[in-house]
Amino acid sequence: MERRKFLSMTLGALALAVVPASVRAEDFRKAKPAVWTAHTVDDAIKAMYGSTALTMEGVQLTAPDVASNGGAIPVNFSTDKDVKSIAVFQDANPEAAVMVVSTTKYSVNKYAIKIKMAKSGTITIVAQGNDGKLYAAKKTLDVALGGCEG
Amino acid sequence: MAGIKVKAKLKGDIVKVKAMVKHEMMTYNMAEKKTGSRDNANFITHVSATLNGETVMDMSTSQFLSKNPIFKFEFKGIGKKGDKLLMVATDLKGKVYKGKGKIK
Repeated sequence: MERRKFLSMTLGALALAVVPASVRAEDFRKAKPAVWTAHTVDDAIKAMYGSTALTMEGVQLTAPDVASNGGAIPVNFSTDKDVKSIAVFQDANPEAAVMVVSTTKYSVNKYAIKIKMAKSGTITIVAQGNDGKLYAAKKTLDVALGGCEG
Repeated sequence: MAGIKVKAKLKGDIVKVKAMVKHEMMTYNMAEKKTGSRDNANFITHVSATLNGETVMDMSTSQFLSKNPIFKFEFKGIGKKGDKLLMVATDLKGKVYKGKGKIK
């Protein structure tokens, strides 16, 4: 019920045709469906954690200043904080959420992934602390060749 | 039959893993552009890794990971040389990809 309401709120905010197909993202096993359809980073963070209050510390994020290939941008992130999950968002694609990793009791929270960004923008990593805080780090980068068109 | 390539190395007390899944990771926009229909979009939505029955990594992913995505992650407190790390990935259409790697 709440999810539908959120979806329709987010959908209402969009003027693009991206919207209807995005609803199919609801078969993601773990994270809440609204997270994956959220267009802006703030909406995705709100859908994921219920708040957008970020503590800009505790998370390390490395990504190139200029990505020559927008289809494969290396992003390395880690945190030493005691967290339950870490999420990657960016504001250069139709939807903001890239991935969410859940911490297991064996996790050493250091990850490297490659992502696509359609244009220059900002990557935001949010690590949900077990203390309730949302630790975060951001990096803005230039993308030489947009990555969504393959 | 697509699978996951897994390389796991024990360094000190931490197991470092590099995994690659062969997948088009076609976004909705790409599907529309290349095939005319957003229904053809398909990308990995979930990846997990288990060792001796315990989950050591669990992530939900989106269309924005690169084609043939590579993931690097680490864990500790479990696993020794010779143990097999199992990985499973699922995509939007429900196809399951599996892979395993011995910890070296």
